[in-house]
Amino acid sequence: MLTCKEQVARSSDYLDGQLTFRERLLVRHHLMFCPNCRRFIRQMRLMQAMLKRMPQAPVPEVDALAERLAAERRKGG
Amino acid sequence: MAAADDAHLLERLLKGEQQAYKELVTAYQSAMRVVAYAIVGQRHADEVVQDAWLSVVRNLGKFEGRSSLKTWLLTITANAAKGRYKQNRREVLLDDLPSPHGTIGAERFSPDDGHWAVAPYAWHQDTPEALLSEDELRNCLEHTLLSLSDLQSSVLVLRERQGLELEEICNLLTLSLSNVRVLLHRARLKVFAAVEHFEETGEC
Repeated sequence: MLTCKEQVARSSDYLDGQLTFRERLLVRHHLMFCPNCRRFIRQMRLMQAMLKRMPQAPVPEVDALAERLAAERRKGG
Repeated sequence: MAAADDAHLLERLLKGEQQAYKELVTAYQSAMRVVAYAIVGQRHADEVVQDAWLSVVRNLGKFEGRSSLKTWLLTITANAAKGRYKQNRREVLLDDLPSPHGTIGAERFSPDDGHWAVAPYAWHQDTPEALLSEDELRNCLEHTLLSLSDLQSSVLVLRERQGLELEEICNLLTLSLSNVRVLLHRARLKVFAAVEHFEETGEC
């Protein structure tokens, strides 16, 4: 049985699908019996979802750049 | 963007249609900048992106659709960055800067049995939308990302915000898979600790 500390150490690999089948089972088994680690993994997933949805800064001067690139293309292409 | 969309956009780009370039820049420049930032750092990232755009325009005719347009653009950006890159990044690679809110480190666990000594604090909201509706938490996230090392934050953003696979990140940044895994894990634990701290205290 993994300890909580060992589970946390494997958590990113677990979320990224980087664990071997056996290690994945070990993590799942631990999660089944450990509410704290279930909360930890759930909140790690929440954090991932937050980062995914964080608004991106708008590209500065997008029109000027697009104009320059289009002109460059017409010139060279 | 799906392959069919790529193909349609490409057609318009080849014709030199300005609106198509605007769509391209809007869709991909942020991801390109993260790749440049990871390789050359803050100071030269914008120049690298500019170089990369010119290279993209000149080589558009050679894009064969074997990869997605996004992967192709990011590869060009990485190459432009590596062309400029002079310092030895390996030295700082695994440098682990202290984060303002720490991480989920050894002190959170009992030395006797490895169980949580200080259990994870339960966050107040259980959807990302609800959490992000708080301006202060959003600012806190931005602030925390900035506190990470260039490579840690880049790898995290490429993975979570840009949705790249680990292998793509390895190829773009010329890092081993094990290094990418370490960088990603450390970055996540620090951001986790920052959100937890915010949820617990209301402060960043």
